[in-house]
Amino acid sequence: MFNGFKGVLYRELSVFRTRAKKQILASSLSPLLYLIAFGWSFGRGVSVDGLPYITFLIPGLITMSSLNQSYGIAQELNITRFYFHVFDEFLIAPISHTEIVLGEAAYGMFKGLLSTILIFVYALLFGVKLIFNPVFFMAILLHTFLFAALGITIAMIVRDHGTQATVNTFVITPMIFLSGTFFPVDKLPYIFKMIVYALPLTYSTKVIRASLTGGEINPLFVFLIVMFAALFFYTALWAVRRVEA
Amino acid sequence: MKNSAGDKDRTVLSVEGLVKKYGKKKALQGVSFKIAGGDFLGLLGPNGAGKTTTIKILTGLTKLTEGGVYYYGKDFSGHPREAKRFIGMVPQQSNLDRDLTAFQNLYLHTILHGIPKPLRMEKIDEALEFAGLKEYRDRQVKTFSGGMRRRLVIVRALLHEPRILFLDEPTVGLDPQIRRTLWELILKVNQVKGTAILLTTHYIEEAEKLCGRVLIINRGRIIAEGPPDDLKKDIGRYVLEIFLENRIEEHFFPTREEALEGCDHSCKVREVTLEDVFLKLTGRRINV
Ligand SMILES: Nc1ncnc2c1ncn2[C@@H]1O[C@H](COP(=O)(O)OP(=O)(O)O)[C@@H](O)[C@H]1O
Ligand SMILES: [Mg+2]
Repeated sequence: MFNGFKGVLYRELSVFRTRAKKQILASSLSPLLYLIAFGWSFGRGVSVDGLPYITFLIPGLITMSSLNQSYGIAQELNITRFYFHVFDEFLIAPISHTEIVLGEAAYGMFKGLLSTILIFVYALLFGVKLIFNPVFFMAILLHTFLFAALGITIAMIVRDHGTQATVNTFVITPMIFLSGTFFPVDKLPYIFKMIVYALPLTYSTKVIRASLTGGEINPLFVFLIVMFAALFFYTALWAVRRVEA
Repeated sequence: MKNSAGDKDRTVLSVEGLVKKYGKKKALQGVSFKIAGGDFLGLLGPNGAGKTTTIKILTGLTKLTEGGVYYYGKDFSGHPREAKRFIGMVPQQSNLDRDLTAFQNLYLHTILHGIPKPLRMEKIDEALEFAGLKEYRDRQVKTFSGGMRRRLVIVRALLHEPRILFLDEPTVGLDPQIRRTLWELILKVNQVKGTAILLTTHYIEEAEKLCGRVLIINRGRIIAEGPPDDLKKDIGRYVLEIFLENRIEEHFFPTREEALEGCDHSCKVREVTLEDVFLKLTGRRINV
């Protein structure tokens, strides 16, 4: 049972182990730079939504960084598919597509959670006080799952590496900057606000920030995150099903 | 090693009227054949003939446009997971994980194919032994030569004891000496383990040396079928090549004596190969 899930995860984690040090080091740099530039220097004495800016920023860095990692499996899947053809090993095995999606998603979640832990370490070092609401754990799991599933979807749809990079530039990066990670979305001009409220990151950032800073958690937002997770799980499944080697 | 699924002479795979379209282009236009347990079947044809497409359809990597694929009489599209247990696949491009060791690559396969944990180590050791890669168990695949990689992919495909092994141009890009050791390995799979094999190639010699039966494929159609010797006999055992100013004229004869009679000046008599069969049928050469 679950051979497919276990196999996919075994493969991804074994490959990850061979480059874990480099990857963790590389992914730890940019949040640190953000913290120093915005949180520490520019943000000193500034308060946003009633929070010291650095406290406001930390949850944003968590969602940004974990999104980068979870969604980032798209890049790896691409290489797996187009350069090494390892994905064929999965497709040829007597396992279900659901297991492939869940195995890859679990790997994406693992990477996302790793970067989350890293930001907590930074928060500790920078003396930022966080309050844990249990909702946080559910929200971060959903958040990393949904972006891993989105990554799988995109990686299976694109026909080459270049298209993948284009999607990242025009969809993922703008979303990361505008969805309330660095500043409250309410400050955006109306038209951008409309766009941003269609993006899942807006809701996961709001919920995760509230769950870490003692804010009020809007159940509607939690519901929307669940919906996005279900949607992308479905698209990932659809995309893997139609993929041809 | 087992030779025992008891499927000797039973039809393992039956392929009926395969058609594959890529947009408007027809890569396959009605390919049919059968493979029985223990058979060694070759699919010989030039680049672009449709060999890889055929194998990808038979292993479920690509969807067919029309036709039917049956393993032990059961429709593949209706029972893909069940049929995949019988299938071993060695793709044209090696799909090993370069950063992982030989062991890790094999271990992944044992998980994906549901080989019970207590059996895994034994099977992997056996596979490495069979491939002559025992000392390389814990080396990363990226340090392997081309020939070692092919051997590893082949034994990996056999870990779950498939009843039919697909080999897509298994010796392409290897030098002649390594090609020969790979042939030995492949023959051993067929003879010792009794695994049926479908091998694609555009090397004449490979098809003649290995295959009990050959399908000649051209532009998505099977244009001839039979044991290599029969195919050659059908056009005549000997060729008379007459060297003209800018081309070579070829005439076929059942015996060497008859061929020699036609030879007056610059000419040569030699035995027919499958290349001649292909040339006679299509007017083109397999390898240009
Ligand atoms: N993914 C694809 N999209 C469009 N055409 C393809 C694709 N794959 C193969 N073809 C075409 O189908 C034909 C058969 O290809 P293939 O099966 O790879 O031939 P072979 O393996 O015998 O060299 C070729 O003309 C090739 O260009
Ligand atoms: Mg090919």
